[in-house]
Amino acid sequence: MTDTTSVSLPHDDRPAPKKFRQRGRFTKWISVAWLIFIVFTAIGASWLPYVKHSCDQFANEDFCSTHLDTNPLLSERPPTWAFFSETTRPVVGDAPERAGFFGTDTNGFDIFSRTMFGARNSLLIGSMSIIFGILIGGTLGLIAGYVGKRVDKVIDTIMNIFLAFPALLLAIFIVGFFDSSTTSEAKSRSIVPIIIALVILSVPPIARLVRANTIVFAQREFVLAARSLGAKNARVIVREILPNVFPAMVTFAITGMAILIVAEGALAYLGLSVSAPTPTWGAMIFGGQAKLETAWWISIMPSIVLFLTVLAINLLGDALSEKFRIKEAIE
Amino acid sequence: MRYFLQKLSQLLIVVFAVTFTVSLALGAIPNAEERIIAAKGSGAINDEEKNKLLDSLNLREPTIVQYGYFVQDLVTLDWGTTFNGNQSISTSISDGLKISIRLMIYGQLIALLIAIPIALLAAYRNGGVFDRTSTTVSFGFISMPNYVLATVLGLLFTVRWQWFPAISTDIGFFASPWEHFKNFFLPTIVLALPLAATYMRLLRADLINTLQSDFITTARAKGVSTPRILFGHALRPSLFSLVTAAAVNVGALVGGSVVVETAFNLNGLGRRTVLGIFASEFRLVQITVVVLALVYVTINFLVDILYGFLDPRVRAGRLG
Repeated sequence: MTDTTSVSLPHDDRPAPKKFRQRGRFTKWISVAWLIFIVFTAIGASWLPYVKHSCDQFANEDFCSTHLDTNPLLSERPPTWAFFSETTRPVVGDAPERAGFFGTDTNGFDIFSRTMFGARNSLLIGSMSIIFGILIGGTLGLIAGYVGKRVDKVIDTIMNIFLAFPALLLAIFIVGFFDSSTTSEAKSRSIVPIIIALVILSVPPIARLVRANTIVFAQREFVLAARSLGAKNARVIVREILPNVFPAMVTFAITGMAILIVAEGALAYLGLSVSAPTPTWGAMIFGGQAKLETAWWISIMPSIVLFLTVLAINLLGDALSEKFRIKEAIE
Repeated sequence: MRYFLQKLSQLLIVVFAVTFTVSLALGAIPNAEERIIAAKGSGAINDEEKNKLLDSLNLREPTIVQYGYFVQDLVTLDWGTTFNGNQSISTSISDGLKISIRLMIYGQLIALLIAIPIALLAAYRNGGVFDRTSTTVSFGFISMPNYVLATVLGLLFTVRWQWFPAISTDIGFFASPWEHFKNFFLPTIVLALPLAATYMRLLRADLINTLQSDFITTARAKGVSTPRILFGHALRPSLFSLVTAAAVNVGALVGGSVVVETAFNLNGLGRRTVLGIFASEFRLVQITVVVLALVYVTINFLVDILYGFLDPRVRAGRLG
C-alpha cells in the first residue's frame, strides 16, 4: 500500500479509461440486441420455424403445440449439446435421443419452444403491468406533487398503506383473493389477476418518484411563467411538468419492468401464476424443480433466458439513467 | 417533538388502515364460507360445528362489528386455531417467525460482511480492475432472481456435489452446530448474495463521494495510513444510505423471503402464509399478514425517528 495517488483528489476527476467506456457501449448494444431478439421471438412464437422442430420430433401432428396438457411422450431428453448427461433413465416411446437446443421436459415438449412462448407471457405481463403502473402512479404522483397540501398527504398515506405489506405477500394475497374456486377444484387462472397484483405493487414507488420530481419542477421559473400567463393547472401539469418528469419515469419504468418480470416469476415459482398449460418462465423453472437431479435442463434453460433478459433490461436502464443524468447536468 | 408526533400519527393511520383492510378482505373473498368449510376437512362436519366455526369468524356481522372483533382478538392474542384444527395460530406464527428472523439475521450479516470490504476496495481504487469486476458481478447478482440463484446453487451443491441437504430442516444451533450450519448455509447464501450486491453498490457510491471531500485530503496530507483513512475516516460518514437500506430490509425480509423459504422447504412465516392461502386458511393468513405489516411499519417508524434524532435536517423536512 505504498501507492497513495489512487485516492481521488477533489480536483482531478479523470475520465474513465477508454477501454472501459468502449466495453460499456458494447454491453449496451448486446443487451439491446438480446432484447430485440426476445421481443421478436415472443411476438412470433407461433409462426417462427423452431416450433416445427418439436413437430419433426413427433410423428403425430397433434403433439406439435408446445403447451398441451396431455402427455405425448413421457420422456425428458437432454439438449443436443449436453453430452455429459446420462440418458439411462427409462423412456416411454422412442429410444432416448438428444433433442433440441434446450432439450425436452417431462411431457416431451421442446423447452426452447416453450421458453419462447413463455417469453410472450412473461413480457406481456411485465409490460402491461408497468404501463398501467406508470399511468396510475404517474397521475397520482403528478397530482400529489403539484397540488400538495392535503391531497398530497392523503395520497402519501394511501401509498404508505400499500408499502406496509411485504411486496410479494401483497401480490400473493391479491392473486389468491381472485381465486374463486374452492381448494378441491383445479384452479384455472388468467393473466388478469396477476397484472392487477403487479400494477398494485408498482404504483406506490412510481407515485413517490414522480411526486418528488414534480415538487422540484413545480417551483421552477417556467412553471411560474406559464401560470402567470394564465395557463390552467391541467395544462401546466401536462405541458410544463410532465415532459420534465418523463425521463425519470421512463428510466424507472425500464428497471421496474425487470423487477415485475422477476416478481411474476416469483409468483409462478410459488404456484400462483397463469395456470399450468400456458408457460411462463417462472412456471417453467418451478416445473423442473422436482426433476433437478436427473433433468437439470428443464429448470436451468428458462432460468438462463430469464436471467439474461433481466440483465439486459437492467443494463439498458442503467445506460439510460446515465444518459439522462448527463443531460440534466448540462442543462 | 413535532416531527415525532407527525410520524406517530402517520404510523397510527397506516396501522388502522392495514388492520381494517385485512379484516374486511375475509368478507370480500368470493364464496369464503364454502372455502373455509372445505379447509376444515372432508365430510365429517355437521351443521352445528359449521355454524360454530362461521360464528367464530363473525362473517355475518356488519363490517364495523367484524373489525371490532378482529382488533379485539388481535390485541388479546386470542388468535384461535387453524380451520383444520391442527395447530394454534400463535404457535404457528411464533415457529415461523423464529425461522424467518434467523434467516434474516444470517442473510444480513453475511451480506454486510461481503459488501463492506468489497465496497471499500472498489471505491478506494475507483475505476480500477477490481472496481470494474466487482461492479459487473454485483450487477449480475442484482439481475439474478433469487429463485434462479436457488435453482443453480441447489443444482451445484445438493445434486452434483451433495455437500448440503436439498431440503433444509430447522435444526437449532445448540442441538448440533454443524448440522445447523449445513441446513442454513444455502438459504442464507441465496438471501445474502443479491443483498450484498445492492449494499455494495450503495456503499461504493457514497464512499467515492466521501473520498473526494476535503477532510480526506487533509488526512492524507497529515500522513494517516490508508486503512485508517478508509475505516476510520471515510466509512462512517458514508454509511447513511447503507444503514437505511439495511434497516428497511430488516422488516422486508421477515416476510419477503418467501421464495427462499419455499426453495429450501423452510417453514418460515412467508411460506406459511402462502401455504395458508393455498389451503384457504384465511384466519392464519390474515393474522400473519397483519403481524408482518406491523413489524415492517414499526421498524420503518423507528428508523425515521432515529434519523430525526441523528440528523436535524431530516426533522426539518429538508432531506429525504
